[in-house]
Amino acid sequence: MDPVERLYMDALMEEPAVPAHSLRPQLLAGARARRRPAAPTAEWARPYAGRVAAMDALLAAAGDEDWSRVVVEGWTLQELVAHLAAKDGLLAASVGAPVLGPPLGALDSLTRTGDVQAYERARSPEQTRRDWRAQADALCRHLAGLPGTAPATLDGLEVPVRDHVLGRCLETWVHADDAARAAGVRLPDPVPEHVRPTADLCARLLPWTMLLSGLDGTGRTLRLTLTGAGGGEWLVPLGVEDTAPGEPDAHLTADVRAFCFLLGGRGDPADFPAEVAGDRALAADVLRTAPALSGP
Amino acid sequence: MEAPYDDRLLHQRVVGGDESALGEVYDRLSSLIFGLSLRVTRDRVIAEDITQEVFLVFWERPLAYDPDRGTLRAWLATIAHRRAVDHVRAEERRRVSALGPRLFEREPVRLEDGVLAADEAERVRQAVTSLPDGLREAVELAYFGGRTYRQVGEELGVPEGTAKSRIRLALRRLADALAEEEV
Repeated sequence: MDPVERLYMDALMEEPAVPAHSLRPQLLAGARARRRPAAPTAEWARPYAGRVAAMDALLAAAGDEDWSRVVVEGWTLQELVAHLAAKDGLLAASVGAPVLGPPLGALDSLTRTGDVQAYERARSPEQTRRDWRAQADALCRHLAGLPGTAPATLDGLEVPVRDHVLGRCLETWVHADDAARAAGVRLPDPVPEHVRPTADLCARLLPWTMLLSGLDGTGRTLRLTLTGAGGGEWLVPLGVEDTAPGEPDAHLTADVRAFCFLLGGRGDPADFPAEVAGDRALAADVLRTAPALSGP
Repeated sequence: MEAPYDDRLLHQRVVGGDESALGEVYDRLSSLIFGLSLRVTRDRVIAEDITQEVFLVFWERPLAYDPDRGTLRAWLATIAHRRAVDHVRAEERRRVSALGPRLFEREPVRLEDGVLAADEAERVRQAVTSLPDGLREAVELAYFGGRTYRQVGEELGVPEGTAKSRIRLALRRLADALAEEEV
């Protein structure tokens, strides 16, 4: 701390005082009225609930010019929020949670995005924000009573619901960051215990991102070291049907947040800051194909 | 002057809608914020209101705080100080306007300032300058020279206990000066 600041604080603390009664219970009650906390949900869905709350904090501070500014994909902030609501709604439909917004038609995320955006354009940004938050919170509440291993389908992909929810977490994180950048606001990262399972999902997606890019990594293994809060080390079998990792063929070290964002379609794989060792061509393939699953 | 890791983590938790993090921030900093508000307003009820409001602002608009620009306690203290000064000025204005024309205009609260504002820092420096020499030297050595009580005593040629009590007396004088200057 700067000496002036420390001196200022110490001077003010010279006679510490306490309120007549604790203001804590009143404060927490007042806080709920001012801003909704993260929705209660299953332990494995908390990273998603946390990103929803963070995005909502960002939206709470958005002014007219923020809402109408084009953020990403040619979409305004309002259209981007409608897009998030559309995909959350599709996952909700898959697991039997309430689906808000216009009646469900086509179940692919692009068509549903178009439907929800058309519906929300006729409403105010504040209504769009409320609709999106209500959809996300309804999904969270429903997930509270569901095992993470229950199957769920989104865009034709059937995997345990836990993984779809982590995917929603990553997408909400990436788009909140898009919106924050457009508005010139700094958005802090999720807490390390929320980053960790998201990074784990990204590591487990690598065989699929390679395969979807026409590369079959069967029998090859990547040692992945992700640095920073929430990072760790993974041995990733690179074939989608591999049951266990083998001896690592290549070793990739990168920042955990940058790695998650690379899978989320942000950043150029060609100049992605990573240290590689072993089979450098394999490591380069992994990086080059990493964004394959990222959509709008 | 970046915030420590704890501040960053609490901020991340509050941004992520974790209510228990707000409770922890309150437990850690409420006596500072209340004490500061009380010192300026000299009214316990008003000081309690300001304390509540300061923590609610942090909960409702957590992105207004930037840990890269300073500590959470400096940011909250700055908001509390401004609100308290605003209150005192509004009271003053009420008294004056009862008597005659409006002489004071309210200044807007500037939430975007992440750190101890420059004018605040300047006030602290001026308050230090106006201390009696013995007290001023002790404070300057301790805060701006980064010395321990013992080192301050050695440099001033006085016992450690004397150095300590001079610094405490100086802090008390500074606290009064900082609180009263605005009133």
